[in-house]
Amino acid sequence: MTPLQLILLGVVLAPGAVFALFSLLWLLGWDAPERALTRTTAIVYSVATAAVAWMAWAMHMAGLESIAVPLGDWFTVHDYHFPLVLLADRLSLPFLALTVILVGLIGQFSATYLHRDPGFARFYILLHLFAFGALLIFSAGSFDLIIGGWEMVGLTSVLLISFFHYRLGPVEGALHVFTIYRACDIGLITAAFALHHYAHTASFVNGMPQVSSGDATVIGLLLLLSAAGKSAQVPFSGWLPRAMEGPTPSSAIFYGAISVHAGAYLLLRAQPILAESSIASGAVVLVGLMTALHGTIVGRTSADAKTSLAYAALAQVGVVFMEIGFGWTWVPVMHIIGHAMVRTLQFLRAPSMLRDYHQVHAAAGGQVEKTGKHLESMFPPGVQLWLYRLAMDRGHLDTILERGFVQPLLALSGLLARLDRMGLGAGGPRPEQTRSHRWLISRFR
Amino acid sequence: MADLSFPLITAAIGIPAVAAVAAFTNNACARLAGVAGAAGASLCALEVFREVSAAGSARLAEPWSLGLFTADNLNATFLLLYSLLTLAILILAPRRDTSAKITGTTLLVLSATLTAYGADNLIVLAAAWILSALPFIAGPFIGSWRPRAGLAASCIALVGAIALIVNAAQAGGDTQPFSIASLAGHNYGGQAAFALLIVVIACRKGIFPAHAWLEDAAEAGPVLPVCLFINGHFGAFLLARVVIPDFPLSAQGTFPILSDLALFTAVYAAIRAVAETRARRILALLVLSQSACILAGLESATQEGVTGALVHCVVVAVATTGLFSVLRLMEVRFNRSFTTEHYLGLSEYTPRLAVFFVVCGLALVGLPGTLGFCSEDLLIHGTLISHPQVGLLLPVATAMNAVSLFRLFSRMFTGTQRTGIQGVTDAVPRERWVLAAIVFFIVAAGMMPNVAVALRANAAHEISLVR
Repeated sequence: MTPLQLILLGVVLAPGAVFALFSLLWLLGWDAPERALTRTTAIVYSVATAAVAWMAWAMHMAGLESIAVPLGDWFTVHDYHFPLVLLADRLSLPFLALTVILVGLIGQFSATYLHRDPGFARFYILLHLFAFGALLIFSAGSFDLIIGGWEMVGLTSVLLISFFHYRLGPVEGALHVFTIYRACDIGLITAAFALHHYAHTASFVNGMPQVSSGDATVIGLLLLLSAAGKSAQVPFSGWLPRAMEGPTPSSAIFYGAISVHAGAYLLLRAQPILAESSIASGAVVLVGLMTALHGTIVGRTSADAKTSLAYAALAQVGVVFMEIGFGWTWVPVMHIIGHAMVRTLQFLRAPSMLRDYHQVHAAAGGQVEKTGKHLESMFPPGVQLWLYRLAMDRGHLDTILERGFVQPLLALSGLLARLDRMGLGAGGPRPEQTRSHRWLISRFR
Repeated sequence: MADLSFPLITAAIGIPAVAAVAAFTNNACARLAGVAGAAGASLCALEVFREVSAAGSARLAEPWSLGLFTADNLNATFLLLYSLLTLAILILAPRRDTSAKITGTTLLVLSATLTAYGADNLIVLAAAWILSALPFIAGPFIGSWRPRAGLAASCIALVGAIALIVNAAQAGGDTQPFSIASLAGHNYGGQAAFALLIVVIACRKGIFPAHAWLEDAAEAGPVLPVCLFINGHFGAFLLARVVIPDFPLSAQGTFPILSDLALFTAVYAAIRAVAETRARRILALLVLSQSACILAGLESATQEGVTGALVHCVVVAVATTGLFSVLRLMEVRFNRSFTTEHYLGLSEYTPRLAVFFVVCGLALVGLPGTLGFCSEDLLIHGTLISHPQVGLLLPVATAMNAVSLFRLFSRMFTGTQRTGIQGVTDAVPRERWVLAAIVFFIVAAGMMPNVAVALRANAAHEISLVR
């Protein structure tokens, strides 16, 4: 294994190892002191940042397009292999760098922000698991491996939303987000299977597997489902404001920076497949456009800082989706990096927003003009009112999902429970409870 | 056929039987006798497992057992797994669940279950099957009437099927009409025996429409013995051990329908769990759904699907043992049964039990980094290959199961903290170490699944229907 390969492996595995160590020790009864957690985090991500920077520089100097770290098959059965291969190329390197830098910064920020919080250790342990999952997504050399990281990011996201688990809002929000994530993850799992089925591999280390136009449409749409769920695109946008119930640092790293862009990364990675299908590309553009409009409109009626930022982020990610659908690569990558940096800063400053506003106001001599009014004024009053109602109900998306999927599912579940009680299950109800039994007893009494 | 170095299977069966007698006669040291008996059985099963692994794909006969017992890749894992699960349960069980009667009967069930796993004789298999179910039919583990009816039906159907098979084998001039191995491929008993065996499997596994007994058993019966009983996975074992090898032609023709039925059960149970409020029933429905996935994998007749099913057997057994144990420990601590009607916020009192619960639960539904992820991956590939149209139901069922499980976790462990609860301890060392071992196994095997998958792949390869 070359030094570059070792570095890539080390960068990806280090957060996972820290997570495993601290969580196992905690399970066995040891409560790690705050200083041990923050210093470990600082050291791990400082070294990881330096390592990624050195790796990028070394690759550039050596003229390398990519580094692959084949680790064999995770498991093998007959013709089916789960390839364990890491890949750092021009697409993944910026995301790897973004992850280690931002996680390190969030770690430092949280040392003060969550000082003496009862969940301090839990936050850091989950932060490491998140970093491991995110680095796995961005360095995966196959869609199979992406699934692993994808699920880890989703799980940590949910557990951090319910960080303040003694309040109902975060707990219910977490369940909502978990439901959406799990429903949409079916797309990625099935897409990986479809790739195995059509192309006999889901690895893209040697280029994206070749599939026909029809197959590309199926795979592209499945990947879009998964990406839309993870990046809160329409019609799954309703979970994003609920996710703001978590602590501010986790909102910043998940919904301002890394997690919310994971869907975009997935589509960027699958761009050769999308390029084969105009239907899939068109769907990506359409979803992005609808999300951008949705985020813009709904964000204007959001009453709190974090939700406003969430919808602003949503609108930008929608634009990123459109850029990916148009077949561009570097524009969305630059857009994502710039957006993630700015949005992280905004999220982290959100608790100090009023203070910042007063400072800006004072610096401008009390002459800060109100902005953002021109869009509404372009519409007639009736349309403005309709848009306002639409925005207040967040595009009716939650209502549609609730009435279209959740309520019918609950009704079906209730119906099946009644059928079980009535005797569909083995043997039916107690003999003495059945009408025929009562009738027989009455006849022969 | 090579031999085991010692009558290890007989020892594994005998030690818990002797320990059961000790437990019945001395209430004060019932748990000690139980742990010693299960540990002894585990050591013997471990040695069987080691010798079978060393022998590769060969089947090993037990010396001096008159051909009654054999060990191979399929049953060696089941022998070890069930012994270890019983050991874990007996250590974990709260004091009120370790009376002489419960511990002694649990050991007898262990002994009978190991007999069934090791049997190479149809009569021994049937007798052990009935003995293992007897405490749930006639006492002392009686819950409601439906488990009794379901299990009794499975026992009767099994006896009928074996009678047909043996009769046909004797009529056909077979010199060893009781030997399971020698019956392979003969289709003795024809469609009638095959149909009866399918009824046995459906009743024991809880395949729709014979599913409701399992919910009732978990709800009304003693939860830890019921958990052990379910995790015997006798239905899947019988399918792999007897039905597929002995009825290859019937199986090949019928399996697409059975596999669809198993997938339907998986979805049915998953949908049922969505709105269920009682914690025990939710867990039972999740086990039901995941067990149906195992059956769907076995019946997919693909190497991936069968291997995934056999690995998933292990995952479901270990993870549900963790889940039911934590639930029982919580019930005893708070002296109540749990529902999902309110948020209880109990993680404030039992944070480690909460973590054990969520890790076991997420392993059950295929969290990456656990063995459940690998088994689900293989299962989904196998079923999608064999049934591309309905195979999609498997990830859908798994996703719904995950939501139900997370809902249960949320309601039990998170939410507004209860007041007025005093003197509740988190996991004590005895519980902590066993649960940590369960979590360690799930995670370590998930990080390095090749060993587990390769072992199960050998067993899968021996199941003759695999393409």
